[in-house]
Amino acid sequence: MRGALLIAKKEFLELSKDRKTLFFAFVLPFLLYPAIFGMMAKMAKRDEDQNRNKASRIYVADPSGAITDLMRADPKHFELLPKPEGDLRQAIRDQKLDLALDVAPGATEALQKHATFLIGATVDESEHTSELALKRVRETLTGQEKVWIQARLQTLGASPQLAEPLKLEVKNAADPALEMGKVMGRLLPYLLMIMMYTGSMQHGIYATAGEKERHTLLSLMATRLPRNQIILGKLLYIFSMGVIAALLNLLSMGLSIPFMGSGSSNSMQAMAAVANPATLGLTFMIMVPLGLFFSNFILLMGIQARNTIEAGSAITPGIFLVVFLGIFTMAPGVDKMAFLSYVPVVNVCLALRKLFSQQFNQLEYLVAFAMTVGLAAVMTWLSTRILNREKALFKA
Amino acid sequence: MIQLNEVHKSFTVKDRKTRVTKRIDAVRGISLEVKPGEIYGLLGPNGAGKSTTLRMIAGLMDPDGGAISVCGHNTCQEPEAVRGCLGYLSTDMGVYVRFTPRELLRIFGEFQDVDPMVAERRGMHLLEKLQLADFADVKMEGFSSGQKQKVSIARALLHDPKVVIFDEPTTGLDVLTAKTVLDLLRIMREEGRTVIVSTHVMPMVEDICDRVGIIFDGKLHGDAPPREILQSRHAKSLDEVFFQLAAESEGGH
Repeated sequence: MRGALLIAKKEFLELSKDRKTLFFAFVLPFLLYPAIFGMMAKMAKRDEDQNRNKASRIYVADPSGAITDLMRADPKHFELLPKPEGDLRQAIRDQKLDLALDVAPGATEALQKHATFLIGATVDESEHTSELALKRVRETLTGQEKVWIQARLQTLGASPQLAEPLKLEVKNAADPALEMGKVMGRLLPYLLMIMMYTGSMQHGIYATAGEKERHTLLSLMATRLPRNQIILGKLLYIFSMGVIAALLNLLSMGLSIPFMGSGSSNSMQAMAAVANPATLGLTFMIMVPLGLFFSNFILLMGIQARNTIEAGSAITPGIFLVVFLGIFTMAPGVDKMAFLSYVPVVNVCLALRKLFSQQFNQLEYLVAFAMTVGLAAVMTWLSTRILNREKALFKA
Repeated sequence: MIQLNEVHKSFTVKDRKTRVTKRIDAVRGISLEVKPGEIYGLLGPNGAGKSTTLRMIAGLMDPDGGAISVCGHNTCQEPEAVRGCLGYLSTDMGVYVRFTPRELLRIFGEFQDVDPMVAERRGMHLLEKLQLADFADVKMEGFSSGQKQKVSIARALLHDPKVVIFDEPTTGLDVLTAKTVLDLLRIMREEGRTVIVSTHVMPMVEDICDRVGIIFDGKLHGDAPPREILQSRHAKSLDEVFFQLAAESEGGH
């Protein structure tokens, strides 16, 4: 194992000489995520403020004046505009208006007769401002509708409760920690997989096909180090870089939560409750063989490639597979499919999802762990065997 | 110190046009012996099998047939022991340009299991001999090919190997740097090391090699001191012998 450690040490020393790569790999995540999260929070807040303070621009065609005064009485939320020229729908699409209401001509008369009248609303559902206008109109009309119903019931001498036989009171059974756990359980395996794979990808290519391209691999092979130790050393380096990248990115993401502004302290508390040492330990334990599996794949593709372009072309499609698996395991109901516990890689994601959702299943976790360890061991054996061949090493 | 006995090596290549897989016999029954304190020159045109032979001697490739022994170790059975007593340099070899020569030698000292203090002392001594001591702590990114070649030589000799294999050591070097390399080879002979050099530079072979073997189509011709080869072939120079062998080879086909 000494030879493998020496090779890994050489790789890390070489990396330490490249300041730019060091910056991008180790410093940038700590600048990037706070900046992204902060910017997203700022934009969301600005959008929210704008929507809260800005009145929706609406046009109301109400010949009998049944609701116009109602809208006019709420200038904070509604700005009544005259009918725009041309097609009304086009005016909404062009965002000259947020919404148009078309009240039936006999609305006031219908109200007096305790009859129903129709209000047509034209909106652009692809525009947030238009949807907000509709929400505001709905709230205003629902409130007014209650007033009218009560007035009608009073006229008939009936109880106001007649039109309201029940009231639904909702209580949230999940505490913030469970909610946060479920979110993390869905996201975390996906993020960990992506970060481990992409984090080790470029370093793997540099240390394998890159060595061939720079004609340095031969100088390593000419030393007294056994060939399988050289291969294992490279594997160790690729794996370490993947794990380091995943941990750094996640740490940076976690530390960036305060930059999200309001509600972040609750999120931090909930996250702290979920991310206890046992959960994190179990997560790390299962990520080790998965990382080894990915690293072996990168190593195999990298060393067999003639140059870095060929290696990149072979390794990059792996990202899509990892993304696909990650997204698949995020889907609702996937955790209920029992057979998925026996599908490699997918079972790791599901085991983690349950771990964070307070539904930890020891057996499923052990199955996923054992299968991934087995897979990583087979891949390592295969890598050292295949890469020991002259054909793979001298391919150029 | 180096013994090759009926060594064979073949490769399979695929013709991209015809999709037919062909077997190429790169080395066909080569036998030779190089003793300590001797410089053996291996000559031959491109693709004749020189580099393959040298790689097999260095334990980087296994022969398909025959046996190779270096420092008493079989290259197939004890490749690590062979590489431990052997310094190998090839023009194909690059250096890790992110390191300084001193750093590179320190790392390769660890790979070759050399005590760090010894590696430092020996590395600096070699760099001085190769007139590169002033650049010991300069990153190799800006080095010329000659300077990189000198660092590679120092790397190959760092663990004080008894056997030295230099595959085209002066290719791409200027006259002065080439002379430094040749002087180093002479010193190594005086120190009693076994040296094999492959080259295209005939005057260099006549100048420093004790014995010469010429490889054509994977077969060894000659294997005698340069003067004897010239006499037996009635040639004035090794270039002429080379052309004769090329003509014979073409006639044989």
